[in-house]
Amino acid sequence: MEYNDKVMDHFANPRNVGKMDNPDATATEGSYTCGDLVTFYLKINDSSQIIEDVKFLSYGCASNIATASVTSEMAKGKTVEDAKKLTWKEITDELNGLPGSKIHCSVLAVDTLKSAIKDYEIKKGLRVADPFTKDTIFQELKKVIYPPASEDICTLKMVKYVYFDDGIATIIVDLPNYDQYKEHIFEDIKETLSRYPEVKEVKVQ
Amino acid sequence: MQRIDLDNCLTTKPDPLVVEAMLPFLSDKYYFPSNFVKTGENAKKELNNFRSVIADSLHTDISEIHLTSGGTMANNIAIKGYILSNSDKGAHIICSEIDYPDILTNAAFFEESGFEVTYLKADREGFIDLQELENSIRQDTILVMTTLANHVLGTIQPVKKIKEIIKSKNKETALFIDAGHAYGRMAIDVKDLDCELLSLSGHKIHAPQGAGALFVKKGVQLAPSKHGINRIDPLDTGGISIAALAGMAKAVELQFADLPAVISHIESLRDRLFTGLEKNLGKLCVNGAWGEHRICHNLNISLTDIEGEGLMMLLDMAGITVATGSACASQGLKPNYVLIATGRSFVESHGSIKFTLSRMTTADEIDYVIEQFTAAVQKLRKLSPLAQK
Repeated sequence: MEYNDKVMDHFANPRNVGKMDNPDATATEGSYTCGDLVTFYLKINDSSQIIEDVKFLSYGCASNIATASVTSEMAKGKTVEDAKKLTWKEITDELNGLPGSKIHCSVLAVDTLKSAIKDYEIKKGLRVADPFTKDTIFQELKKVIYPPASEDICTLKMVKYVYFDDGIATIIVDLPNYDQYKEHIFEDIKETLSRYPEVKEVKVQ
Repeated sequence: MQRIDLDNCLTTKPDPLVVEAMLPFLSDKYYFPSNFVKTGENAKKELNNFRSVIADSLHTDISEIHLTSGGTMANNIAIKGYILSNSDKGAHIICSEIDYPDILTNAAFFEESGFEVTYLKADREGFIDLQELENSIRQDTILVMTTLANHVLGTIQPVKKIKEIIKSKNKETALFIDAGHAYGRMAIDVKDLDCELLSLSGHKIHAPQGAGALFVKKGVQLAPSKHGINRIDPLDTGGISIAALAGMAKAVELQFADLPAVISHIESLRDRLFTGLEKNLGKLCVNGAWGEHRICHNLNISLTDIEGEGLMMLLDMAGITVATGSACASQGLKPNYVLIATGRSFVESHGSIKFTLSRMTTADEIDYVIEQFTAAVQKLRKLSPLAQK
């Protein structure tokens, strides 16, 4: 597995790095389990709807950094509507390709950008925030990967019960006590769901 | 500048004297051993000399040393050979969750074939649970397998204590030790360890790849696991490389000429690296045991705010080779199983870096690594949302 020169350039010299003061929108996506996490900050001109500045932070591998870097470059100067149309394929192509096992990094980068745009639209009243429901929890649980199978815990049918009431999310995961990944999966679920302000407490059993 | 290799746990650079010792076997001395012809008789003598060098290094007799085409081959000959030869006595074997993959894949093979395997837990420092071992040994337990110095953590298992426990529970149960990462980095006396089987690898101590050895205690029977013509060794049949074995014998001579000095040199540089990194980066999380229970060449640390693959690659760009337990750098995108089994979090595994030194490592190299590692960590921390918290 090798990275090409363009990926290495964006990894070694990432563009638009750093935390932004007073951003118009922000979003963090990713998974501690997989070891990749991206935060995007956007500055958007309300009248022109142009993304005037993009900054990012990345906890992840070389391709995580490179894909976030190139996504920030591609989003900058675009209108919100055009930026929403960006695809992981375009990110990958702009980097002249990625190793197969690293494609998910371009998916994460573009998803995080779109989450940040969604944050902007909600703040400006351009769209209504999706209500936080059991479905939201299921969507988030699909991002929790069980390492030995390299699949998410929903696809593996490990999630046996989900309940959300009065800010308390209760999730029952079918993992034996001796499973060495159990504690980490539980931590990952708590970390992922705790990002939602609607969630006051996460109970995982 | 020449590359700096601090992944000597994976393999080591052949010593120039080793390469020189191999050359005659790649030209004039290309014969297999045989009887009644000068060429074959000479080859037989040379191979006995190689066995003798290795026997001396383990404080044992030449008759108990088998030459193999590598450490993994020695492991397979030992594990498969012993279990197949003793399957009438029982179908239970014991190893630990953190053993070297050669042991774990062999255990899985026998598990699939109907054997019962107990995988012992290990504590946070990487020591196997001796109470669990004692509780697990039964009348049908035929083999206990352990890794002398753990390949990830560097933790040295208390094998003498392990053997005492085995003997107290079942005198018929044998002990197999994979000494691949320990050999040439600590003194090993097979009589003192009282093990039945012990494997080692040449390329971890500046021999070429493709040469290893197996100690088999007198009287221990091994069923053949590799069938073929007996050329060099009856257990590793076929034409295995005499040149590689010559290289291994030379490497062993060089490593063991003054083993205490070699260990002291490596250990002092490992400690210099650790002290230098802590001075620049603050207190570090060390994976594995520390002090006399850690093999001299291993330093494994975890950083919890940056990811290991990126760090490894920045060092690679600076001409330095290290290893990481990051899932991103693994083939199956999984965190390191040894770190997870010893209670490290995913983040600690993803941010782990393993440095393994050799007797060829120099103080100047270590100082350069400290400088470059510090710069790489600082660069990645500027990027990391976890470092901003």
